[in-house]
Parts: sequence; C-alpha cells; structure tokens
Amino acid sequence: MRLIRVVISSLVVAILLSASFALAQDVQPIKIGVAVAQTSNVALFGQEQVIGAKIAEAYFNEKGGVNGRPIQLVFQDTAGDEAGAINAFQTLIADTVVGIVGPTLSQQAFAADPMAEQAGVPVLAPSNTAKGIPEVGNFIARVSAPVAVVAPNAVRAALNLDPNIKDVVVFYAQNDAFASSETTTFQSTVTNLGLNLASVQTFQTTDTDFSAQITNALALNPQLVIVSGLAADGGNLIRQLREFGYTGVIVGGNGLNTANVFPVCQQFCDGIIIAQAYSPAAESEINQTFRELYKAEQGKEPPQFSAQAFSAVQVFVEALIRLDNITKLDTLDLATQRNLLNLSVLAGGYETPLGMLSFTPTGEIVQEQFYVAQIKMNADGQTGTFEYIQ
Amino acid sequence: MDSFFNQYGFLIVSMTFSALLALSLYLPLMAGQLSLASPAFYAIGGYIAAVLSTQIFPVESGAPFPLERLLLEMLIAAAVSGVLALLVGLPALRLRGVYLALATIALVEIVRVLSLNLEITGKAIGIFGIPQPFATKLDYLWISGVLLLVSAFFVYRLEHSRMGRAFAALREDELAAGAMGINPTTTKLLAFVLGAMLAGVVGAVSAHFLNTWNARQGTFDASILILAYVIIGGSRTFLGPIAGGLLLTALPEVLRALAGVPGLPPLAVSFLQDGRLIIYGVLIVLSTLFFPQGLITPALLRRWNRKGRA
Repeated sequence: MRLIRVVISSLVVAILLSASFALAQDVQPIKIGVAVAQTSNVALFGQEQVIGAKIAEAYFNEKGGVNGRPIQLVFQDTAGDEAGAINAFQTLIADTVVGIVGPTLSQQAFAADPMAEQAGVPVLAPSNTAKGIPEVGNFIARVSAPVAVVAPNAVRAALNLDPNIKDVVVFYAQNDAFASSETTTFQSTVTNLGLNLASVQTFQTTDTDFSAQITNALALNPQLVIVSGLAADGGNLIRQLREFGYTGVIVGGNGLNTANVFPVCQQFCDGIIIAQAYSPAAESEINQTFRELYKAEQGKEPPQFSAQAFSAVQVFVEALIRLDNITKLDTLDLATQRNLLNLSVLAGGYETPLGMLSFTPTGEIVQEQFYVAQIKMNADGQTGTFEYIQ
Repeated sequence: MDSFFNQYGFLIVSMTFSALLALSLYLPLMAGQLSLASPAFYAIGGYIAAVLSTQIFPVESGAPFPLERLLLEMLIAAAVSGVLALLVGLPALRLRGVYLALATIALVEIVRVLSLNLEITGKAIGIFGIPQPFATKLDYLWISGVLLLVSAFFVYRLEHSRMGRAFAALREDELAAGAMGINPTTTKLLAFVLGAMLAGVVGAVSAHFLNTWNARQGTFDASILILAYVIIGGSRTFLGPIAGGLLLTALPEVLRALAGVPGLPPLAVSFLQDGRLIIYGVLIVLSTLFFPQGLITPALLRRWNRKGRA
C-alpha cells in the first residue's frame, strides 16, 4: 500500500514540477514544435518525418539559423490517435514554441488544429492531405498537396503509356481516410477523361486475401487498375492481381509511394505508376543538398514524408528570417511573434525540396511541380527504384 | 496555476471520460457479464452528437454551441444506446463469459464497419468541425466532472440497493441467484443497458470535446483499453474502475512531462521521451503482478475505513 502512496504522490509532484518548469525556460534558441506520430501504427510515416525535420534543423543552424539565432526543434509524440495529438499540441503550446509542424494524420489534425488556432500558434501540416485542413482556421496551413491535385497526374501518365485503355477498375482501402478520399479523386479523374469506370472494389488495410475482389474485377477485363491503399495491403493486392494473371497497367496511390512496398510485391511491383508530390531527382540546389544529407545519414533516397517535414521546417525558418529582418524577434512578445510569423509564412514564396511553394490566404499550398514515377524492380526481386516518367 | 490548467485541461477531462467509460464496462461486470460493448455505444453516442451538431442544429462558425442542445444530444444518445442495448442484449446475454465478450466485440466491429460505409458518418474521414459549447477544454469538466460524480454516486448507491445485491448474487452464482427468485435475464439486461447508456452519453460529449469523430473512435483497441482500466483499477468496487481510468489516462502524459524536468541527464530524457510507452507497459504488467485484484479492492477500503475510525 505504501507503494501506491509513493506512486501517486510522485505523480502529483511530477505534474506540478513539469508545469512550473515549463514556464521558466531558457529563451535563447527559437523553438519550433514538431508533433508527429513517433509511436503507434502510423509511426512508419512519423519516423520519416522526424528524420526530415532533424536534417532541416542541423542544416539551417549550420547556415546561421535565424539571423544568427539558432532554431531548436522540440519533438512531442502524438501517437496515432486524436487525444495524443491534442496532448502533444498542448504541451508544445505551453513550451513557448513559435510554430508547430504536424500532426501526421488528417484526422488528428481535425482534432488538434483547433487547439493551436485558439492559442494563436501557426501550424504547418507536413502530411495532411484531406479536404478542409487549411479551412480549420487562420493559423493552419499545409505543405502537403491535397490528393485532388496529385492523383490525376498518374492516370494521365497511364494513358500516355497505353492509349488503348478503356475499362478501369478502382480498388481502395475503405478503412483508411487517405485512401478513401484519394479514390474519389481517382474515380472522378477516370470519368472526366472519358474512360469507363467498370467497378469499384473495397478492401481493408488489415486484409491479406483479396481473391474475391480480384475475381470480380478481372471478370470485367479492365486495361487499367487503380489501387489506393497502404504499402502492406496495397502491395499484397497488386501481387495477387498479377498472380491471377492481370497484365494491364496498374496505378498506385500515394500510400504506395514508398520503398517499403518493394519487399511486399517483389517482382510484381514492376511497372506500377505512382503520382508523387516529391521526387528525389528534382534538380534544384536545395533538393540536391537535402538528398545528399539524407543519403549520407540513411544510405537511401529520401522519401516524400521526410522531404515534406524538411520543407515545413524550412518554411518556418525562412518566414522567421523575413520577419526578423523587418522587426527584431526578441523585441516582440510571444503572442505577437506567433501572430506575425503566421502572416509571414502565408506571404512568402519558398524554394524547397518539393519545388517552389507558396500559400493561398487560407493556407492551402500552391505547389508548382508534381512528378509521376514508375517502379522498376531489380533482378533480385527485392530492391527497386522509382523512375521518373514525368 | 493558470498555465497548468491551460496545458492539462484536456488531459484532466480525458481522465474523467476514461473513468466514465470504465464505469460503463463495470456496470455489466457487476452482474458478472464480461461485455466489451462500451466502445460501440460510445461510438454511436459520438456520431449522434456529431451529426446533430453539424447538420441538424448548425451554429455559425465561431459561435458557441448552446449548452442545452449538448444536453439534448446527451439525452438522445442515452436513449438510442439504451434501446439498442435492449435489442442486442436480449439475445447476446444468453451467452456467458468469453462467448458474451466475443459477441460484444462483434457489435463493436459492426458499428465500426457501418460507420466506414455510411455516407452520414463521413466514411473513413469521419465528421469534423464539430462546434464547441465551451471556450476552453477545461470547461468540459462542468459536464464530465458532474457526470462522473453523479454516476459514481449512482453506482455507489446501486451497490447497496436490492438490485445491486441481485447483481452481486448473479455474479457469484447464477443458479443460486435464480433459485432465490432473482430473474437473471432482466437483471443482466438492466446492468447491460445502464452501461450502454452511460457509454453513449460519454460519446456524445467526447465528439464535441475532440472536435472530430471518426471510425477510429470506439474500436476493439478501445475495448481492451477500457477493460484494462477496470482490471488495473479493481473490479470489485466502483472506485476501482474510476481510479484505473484516471490513472492509466494520466500516466503517458505524466511520463511525457517527466522528460521535461530540467537537470535530468540527456540519456534519461531521451529514455523518458522515446520509451514512455515501454515504461507504461511495464508499469501495467507490474501492477497486475503485484495487485492481481486491482489497485482498489474491497479489503483495502475496509482497512481505510477502520483507520479512519480509529
């Protein structure tokens, strides 16, 4: 029983201590919060975002930070749920950050962004692609292009590859928010291009056997199959699709835009067309610098999630520099800093690894370039590359 | 102190919600029914509030959501959950033990799959932009805190009422209870319906509280988590689930805050920050080892009582 009392009293002390110390912290570096999913089943994406943000922190501090003042990234794990995102945001807001990069999922953003909006803290979403995110409030913007903009490019590229495409079957993971909003874009693109949307098949991200849906689909003899899912389920679906004898073109959604899909569908990955918001091959100086830094650290090409997190930090840093050039930051109190930073973010244009970025007044991203890649698998069937066809 | 409540207001209210959900699972457990259905009713309550507040009673963006409508939503959620629990409970409660648990998990899954498919529940993205009745998250304590006090008092009185004793008799021995004139079906059904109504009400408030509602709320994971609140807290007195819900919800955030205490060596900071869920898991395992009956047991309460009187 003594143990309980010790545990409870130490918990109380801990809460009080942390709260009081959060107030009295050193203000030297400029703090930027990063709230992404470092744990839970979304951690695969969150970890890539952490790497990208850390590279940005080191790179911009090397370049002199914000006119000589270094930046410091404060990481708080959101895990994969809404409550976790709100807790992480609250901790960061109390930790006197000037802005927040995060969260990983759109659904988390719908829960946590209103907290930042209320506190007047600018938020840059590195990977929220659902409709309605920047509209949550004045302080909310994103560097991730909404699905409606990215996805259609892949279908057009598929048509270039095979002009005889007529009948299309669309598959999507119905329990995944990203896949189910991406598929509506794919479906309307198919109809707008005058193709026949022969059938829409659904699956779950936890499924491993897709034979029922595939049999239904192949009975319609499609020339194009579009898959919106995540790496594991989408990869498996494509593998089974090929094993059932489908030989036509396959377009993958953004969830398959990762090298993690290679070991899943192996040689069957070959030829999948994927629209991307980021290409490691983009020739801009900043992208090649980022690519080299990433490769030196991780030994592989940077994924989109890392590039987006890097870009979000970069946007904050450049907006801070612009603001500091007009009024010295240390003459402003925190609320004014946050407020002016938000205006500065929205006003600027940024040359990032994603290409040239700017924002609409509501905070929606204006991205100038998108890419379409095709997967080429190596002979060993385990490794491959994204080859850019557009 | 102000900044403390600003930062932890959300957490404090979340803790009360967890305690309420734990109570909703504890109610059927009082009658010996292991039902994991609470998250299903929680999800339904949330969807009711989300749909009503965004489509039926819209307010201008930025304007506060009227409190009486929130109370109305809570009532509707309780009524719908209660009726549904009655319909589901009648056949499901013929099952016992693990089989009942499995049937209630099926209910949770059905609700999840339905909400992923229906247009009105917003499919996988869910419903967002749910209007706020309060200016800060802490103000939700006016609803959740009062609800917790009222339900705790209700369950406390229930434990000592005729019906509460009937629950306990059923839990200990269904045959013997039946022989003593307790109707097992209606008694179990009552416990199940009460738990469902409570979960539905909590869901309705939670939807506003989280700003958004989707199929990831009230899943099988939540079932297990709520069960853990009850098991860790103690399943033989109403204080157990409440303590379990409060404690297990606070713990990950307390560990997060511990990492921010200045003066800690960097290794300890990174262990607390990156390993907080590991510590959380270890603490849960340790507590089941050292407190197999849960943290709060009737024996412990008796000891406290004696000490209080002495």
